Amino acid sequence: MTDLAFSELQRDCLQELINVAMGQASDKLARYLDTFVHLQVPAIALVDAAELPQHFASRYQQQCATLVSLGFFGDSGLRGETIMLYQLDNVGVIAQLLGYSDDSASEAEMLTDISSVLTTTFLNGLAEQLENSFSYAAPRIISSRDDNFGQKLAYSAEQWQLALQVDIRYQLTDFSFDCDMILLIPGEAVLRLRQILDSILADF
Amino acid sequence: MALTALICDDSLLARNQLKKSLPAEFDADIVTASNGMEALAILRSQEVGLVFLDLTMPELDGVGVLEAIKADAMDCLVIVVSADIQPEMQKRVMELGALAFVRKPASAEKLSEVMHKYGLI
Amino acid sequence: MQLDWLLHPLLSQINTGVVVLDAQYHVVFFNQFIARRADIELAKVQGQPIDKVFTDLPLAWLRRKFDSVLNLQVPAFSSWEQRQYIIKLPHLRPLSSDSRYMAQNCSMLPLTAPDGMSRYIVLLIEDATDAYVYQQQLQQSVVQLEQANRTDGLTGVFNRHYWQQQLGYEIQRAQRYQHPLSLLLFDLDKFKDLNDHYGHLGGDFVLIELSKVIASLLRDTDLLGRYGGEEFGIILPETGLTGAMQVANRICDKVAQHKMVFNQQGIKATVSIGVVSYTEQTVDELIQYADTALYSAKRQGRNRAVAYQPGLEAAIKKIK
Repeated sequence: MTDLAFSELQRDCLQELINVAMGQASDKLARYLDTFVHLQVPAIALVDAAELPQHFASRYQQQCATLVSLGFFGDSGLRGETIMLYQLDNVGVIAQLLGYSDDSASEAEMLTDISSVLTTTFLNGLAEQLENSFSYAAPRIISSRDDNFGQKLAYSAEQWQLALQVDIRYQLTDFSFDCDMILLIPGEAVLRLRQILDSILADF
Repeated sequence: MALTALICDDSLLARNQLKKSLPAEFDADIVTASNGMEALAILRSQEVGLVFLDLTMPELDGVGVLEAIKADAMDCLVIVVSADIQPEMQKRVMELGALAFVRKPASAEKLSEVMHKYGLI
Repeated sequence: MQLDWLLHPLLSQINTGVVVLDAQYHVVFFNQFIARRADIELAKVQGQPIDKVFTDLPLAWLRRKFDSVLNLQVPAFSSWEQRQYIIKLPHLRPLSSDSRYMAQNCSMLPLTAPDGMSRYIVLLIEDATDAYVYQQQLQQSVVQLEQANRTDGLTGVFNRHYWQQQLGYEIQRAQRYQHPLSLLLFDLDKFKDLNDHYGHLGGDFVLIELSKVIASLLRDTDLLGRYGGEEFGIILPETGLTGAMQVANRICDKVAQHKMVFNQQGIKATVSIGVVSYTEQTVDELIQYADTALYSAKRQGRNRAVAYQPGLEAAIKKIK
């Protein structure tokens, strides 16, 4: 198997691009939701996709967790899948913010809407940093109200080689909530991403 | 004597990016810090005229650095260079005495414009 | 190579609905897919608000989606599983589907004009009626399977496994809410003789007939199950011993009066019934008591109902 590890410089570069993308995303969300969004520096970690299920199974063990997946495709072979993980307790509050309080939208719909807003605002920013642009597949709930969580995640992770784990904490004026975002990227796309990072690094 | 400018950012890429984007006519000695604590240590040990300050950093963030500069009445100008570009945040750092706010990634044009405006070049 | 000429025929023939709206949600364009199915002409409705062009739209819901597309410049999605359709359009499978309208997967994408200023929304509509129909069929099969899983193949009443499970639930309910609950256990009298005389098909026929007769005497909430062979059970929720004895006696009478004809021969059958009322027993104890009462009914000459009472076991032993 090809070595997919990132050098310290590449990691630093990616972290910075993600910070900038996150900054843009929170600005957009803040304007849209008319509230202040405080995003903590997302801790990013590059991990072997195979190790993910165990990691998250223990973190979400006690709660009712849900997993929503969204695929993205960019130019020159850059592609992957994002998975948002949250505790269902948080969903109601986020939904209220997005204006779902007054109608009959199903929980499934709220989950997919929230996930696609949070991930695509961020991914659009990241694509811009990478001088690329992404198109997206419709979001899918992989698991909800379900204790088979680890298994479902294992199934998704199995198809990818590298996982970029981004722990995000959204804090809004009146409340805060944690969620995890995982970017799953296949081997070829990882190689492509490293090339892009190297060319950015070479410019500076 | 050339001015000393401090670039404070936890990302090496961001520090390099900023260094490269500084106007050619800006004649200064550049020192760097990778978090707020390091920055304060430098500010307290040597004379620094201008600080390019990131906001989201480990140890001590940019807001913390601005508060310390204000509390100690340090004599330096601060340009905030941040990815957190929400109006609320911009307002907050300006209230803490920042000279200007530049969004990341900082472009050479924008930096040049701001530095011209305040007579730094 | 100049390819602009391609766009128009492509848009006309593509099997996806395309609707373009401006930032005020007025209709700017739709393709032939939409025009033909909705039977409207673009030239006649261009520039009108979307809800004037298409009727019965989920407007509040759509606005929320469109707002996020415009303000955040991100796509929004809707799946037929969450909302079956957005625009009411006919589909092309009127016979194989119970739905009148096309099930739709929708994408809403942000679009900026070449001037870099004017913003639009593209609504893409894909026909998901096939998936919808398969899903309906699958659900139907699951329901049928569930039903088959709890039904006795011969008589159509509940099977033992399901019936006994329900008895457990009813006992829990009775205990929690302090409501009465009774149980009947009954047995076809001299079933072995019937089988010997009319053959196994004859015996089966009697079981089927009597299940029907008895089921017709019960309320919807009563649960009739085949306990095994010629033995059946009935759970009577919200029923005390007096009510249960009335039901049991009525069953004995009706069965005895019921005339059945099998292979041109008339058959008469009777049943013996054991009756017990719930007073904090376990499932097994309750069945055991009903069985004791049933045994007593047999001993007393069959074609009758006997209520369980403490000491009945000893009485039976004495007779033995």
